[in-house]
Amino acid sequence: MTRHTASATGLRMTEATWEKTAISAQRFRGRRRAARRLHFLLAGLLILVASVWLIISGTASGARYFITVDELVNNPDWSGKTVRVSGAVLGSSIAWDPDSLTIAFTMAAIPAQFDDLALALHDAVSDPSVTRLDVVVPGQPKPDLLQHEAQAILTGRLGADGVFTASELLLKCPSRFEEAVPDPAIAGHADL
Amino acid sequence: MLAEIGLGALLLALAAAFHALLAALGAGLRNRDDWLRSARNAALLTFPLLLCSASALLLALLNGHYQISYVWSVTDPTTPFFYRFTALWGSQQGSLLFWSLLLSLYCFSAILLSWREHRRLMPGVIAVTMATLAFFLGLSLLLENPFERFWLAADGAVLRDAFIPAGARAPDMERLAATANGLNPLLRHFGMIIHPPMLYLGFTGFVIPFAFALAALASGDLSAAWIRATRRWTLLAWMFLGLGLLLGGRWAYDVLGWGGYWGWDPVENAALLPWLTGTAFLHSVLIQEKRGMLRLWNMLLVIFAFSAVLFGTFATRSGLIESVHSFARSEIGFPLFAFWSVMTLVALGLTLWRQRQGLLRDERAFAGLLGRESLFVLNNIVFAALFIAIFWGSFGAPLASEVLLDAPITLGVDYYQQVTPPLFAILFLLMGLAPLAAWGNSSLRSMGAGLRAPLLLTLPLLAMLALAGMRTAEALLAYGLVTLAGMVALVEIIRGARARVHAWGEAWPQALRALFIRNRGRYGGYVVHLGVTVIGIGVIGSTLFQAETQRTLARGESLTLQHYELRYDGFSEALAGDGRLLRVAAVTLSRDGREIARLRPRIDVFPQQPMTIAGIHSSAENDVYVLLTGHDETGARATFRLTINPLINFVWWGGLLLLTGTLIAAWPQQAGVATRRQDSALQEAQT
Repeated sequence: MTRHTASATGLRMTEATWEKTAISAQRFRGRRRAARRLHFLLAGLLILVASVWLIISGTASGARYFITVDELVNNPDWSGKTVRVSGAVLGSSIAWDPDSLTIAFTMAAIPAQFDDLALALHDAVSDPSVTRLDVVVPGQPKPDLLQHEAQAILTGRLGADGVFTASELLLKCPSRFEEAVPDPAIAGHADL
Repeated sequence: MLAEIGLGALLLALAAAFHALLAALGAGLRNRDDWLRSARNAALLTFPLLLCSASALLLALLNGHYQISYVWSVTDPTTPFFYRFTALWGSQQGSLLFWSLLLSLYCFSAILLSWREHRRLMPGVIAVTMATLAFFLGLSLLLENPFERFWLAADGAVLRDAFIPAGARAPDMERLAATANGLNPLLRHFGMIIHPPMLYLGFTGFVIPFAFALAALASGDLSAAWIRATRRWTLLAWMFLGLGLLLGGRWAYDVLGWGGYWGWDPVENAALLPWLTGTAFLHSVLIQEKRGMLRLWNMLLVIFAFSAVLFGTFATRSGLIESVHSFARSEIGFPLFAFWSVMTLVALGLTLWRQRQGLLRDERAFAGLLGRESLFVLNNIVFAALFIAIFWGSFGAPLASEVLLDAPITLGVDYYQQVTPPLFAILFLLMGLAPLAAWGNSSLRSMGAGLRAPLLLTLPLLAMLALAGMRTAEALLAYGLVTLAGMVALVEIIRGARARVHAWGEAWPQALRALFIRNRGRYGGYVVHLGVTVIGIGVIGSTLFQAETQRTLARGESLTLQHYELRYDGFSEALAGDGRLLRVAAVTLSRDGREIARLRPRIDVFPQQPMTIAGIHSSAENDVYVLLTGHDETGARATFRLTINPLINFVWWGGLLLLTGTLIAAWPQQAGVATRRQDSALQEAQT
C-alpha cells in the first residue's frame, strides 16, 4: 500500500516537470511551434483523406458482388454489373474453340448455402427445372478441370442477350478436396 | 513407436509450457525469483521436447510409416527423399507442429540472451510466449494431431485415433502404402522447401517483440529497455517474412503458370500485413530511441504486428477465405479466432491502462515538418493507410458486406492496383527525403542541396529507360521516385565514406568497411533501401510493361510479340519416375530473326491434377515466359501463351540486397558479444 502511494507521487512529480518544460518552451516559441504543428497535422490529414478517398473509390470500382444464378437472371438490376456467380457445369454443353480460344458452356444454379458441395452440384445438373445460364469465357485455354459436375466460379457480366461473359474462371472439383481417408479396400484386404 | 515418442514429447512440451506460464505469472505477481527460475527452465525445456516430437514425425515421413495418417496423406512410396523432408510442413497438422517448434526456438534463444540484462521483463516475456505456445500445442493435440494413426475396428471400419481403440488392430501396411496420397504436386518445387519455413520464421518471430512489449506494459518499466532487447529480433523476423514473401512470389511465378508473382490473394495479403507493420515499427522505433517520442504508437505497432500474424494464421488455416493457399476447411478456425481476439484485447487493454497513468507520454514534441521524426511519422501514416487499405480489401469488405449487404462482395486485383500505387509512391518519396533530414527540423534549402547529387544520378537512368521504350508519364514518375530514393541511400553511403577518407586519410575500401562496422544500423538500413529500390524497379517494369499474347499453333507455325517470335516445333509425352505424365512442347524463340533459345514448356499431369510449367528465357532485360496452355490429342496443334516480363529479375536481385542489408543491420555490434552473453546465460541456466 505504502509502495503504491510512493510510486504514484513519483509519477505526479515527473508529470509536473514534464509539463513545466513544455510550457516554458512554448512561451518562447509558441507561435512558430503552433504553426509547425499545424503544417504537420495538415500533411498527415491530407494523406489520410487521400487514402480514405482511394479506398472508397477503389471499393466502388473494384467490387464484385457474389450472387446466385437465380438472382442474376431474375433481377434486371444486376445485368451489366460485374458480379461473381457460381454454378454446376453441364458436361455435354462444353465447347472450346482453339482458334479464338473461347470456351462456352451452360451451368446450372446451385443454392447459396449447402452442406455438401458434391451433392449440391449433382442435384443441380440432374434437375432440369433448375435455372440455367449460358456462359462464354473468351481468351482461355481449355482448363483440365472443366468437366461435368465441376463447380465454376465466374466473374463477369450478364449481357442483354442473356449470355454471361466471364473475365475470370475458377473451377473446383469436389473430389479433389475430399477429406483424406484411405481406400475402404484397406479394410477389405486385411479381412482376407 | 515413432508416433508414441512424438506424441509423448508433444504432451510433455504442453505440460512444460503450462508450468512455465503459471510459474511466470506467479513470479510476476508475488515477486518470487525461485518461481521465475523454474518458469525459465520449463520454458527452455519446450524447445528440445518439440525438437524431439518434430524429429519423430520427420523420421516417420522419411521411413514411410503410413499408418500415421499425416504421413499417409502427404507422402507415398514414390515420393523422393527431398520431398519427404519438406512434407513436414506440407499440410495442416505437420505445419502446425513445425510452427510450434519455431516458436519455441525463438523463446529459447530470446530467454537465454536476455535473461541477465532484462530480468525485470522476464515474467511477462515467459508468460506471453508460453501462453502462445501452449495454445498452439493445444491445437495440435486436440484438433490437428499429427500423430493420429489408422486402425481397423472389429467391424472392419477404418478409424483414425492417436491411441489404439478397444478391439481394433493395425491395418495391413502394404495396403496402406499402396493407397497413400502423396504430396500435393503444387508443393513439389524448390521454392516450397524454403518458402514456408522462412514465412513461419517471420511470423513466429514477431512473438518476441510482442512479448517484451507486453512485459514492459505489465511491469511498468516503459523505458526503451524492451525496444533495445527486441530490435534485433524484430529485424530478424522482418527479414525472414520478407524473404518468405519473395520466395512465395518466385514459387507462384514458376509453378502456378499465370506469368505473375503477386496476385493480391487474401492469404498473400495476410502475410504482407505484418511485414508492413514491422517495417513501420523498425522506423518509428528509432524515434523512440533517439528522441523519446512515439512511445504509444510504437506499442500499438508491435501489438498490431503480432495481432496481424495471428489474424493471418486464422484466415489462412480456418478456410475463412478462399484462396490457392488455404488449407482445407478445419475446426481450428474458432479457437484461433478466439485466441487472436483475446491476445489483441489484453494487449490493447494493458496499453490503455498504462497510457491513462501517463507512462507512455512522449518526452519531446515535434519541431517541424521537415524534421526527420516528422517525415518518419508521415511514413508511418502511409504504412498505416496501406495496412488499412489491404486489410479492407482482403477481409474488411468481404466480411462487412456479408453482414450489411444483400450480396457479399469481394474486391478484385483492380482494387489493389488502383489504391496501392499512390501510397507506395508517397512511401518512396519519403524514403528519399528522410535520410536527408536532420533530427528536429531542417530547411528546404539544406534538403535541396542534399538532393542535388542523387537527382544527377537519377536522370541518366531515366533517360536510359525512356530510350528503352518505357516512356509513359506514369512510368517515368514511378521510376523517378523509386530511383531517387535508392540514389539518396547510395550517396549517403558514399558521403559517409568520403568523410572518413578526408578526415583520416583512409583508403576507400577501408573507409567503407569502417563505416559499415561503426554504424551497422544506419548503413545496413541504406543497403535495405537500395534493395527496396531495385525491387521497386522490377515491380514497375513487370507491371506496367508486361506484354502478353495467346494463340493456337500447328507444328511449324509461329506467333510474334514485340521483337520476339515463337515457333512450335514438336510435341512429346513421357512418364516420369514419380508417376506423372509429362506433356512437353518443343519451341524455338527468336529475337529479330535470330534464334536465342529452345524452350520446353510442359504440362505435368499428376493423378490428382495437372500443373503448367513455363519455359523461361531469362535475362537482365526481361523474362520471356512461355506456357503450354492446351493441345489436341496428337499434339498437332497446341496453344501457347507468351508473356514478356520486363525487368522482372530485379525483384529477385533486390531481395538479395534486402537480405544483405538486414544482416548488416542486425549483426551484433561487437563481434563475440552475443556469444559471450549466451555463454554466461548458459552457465547460469546450468547452475
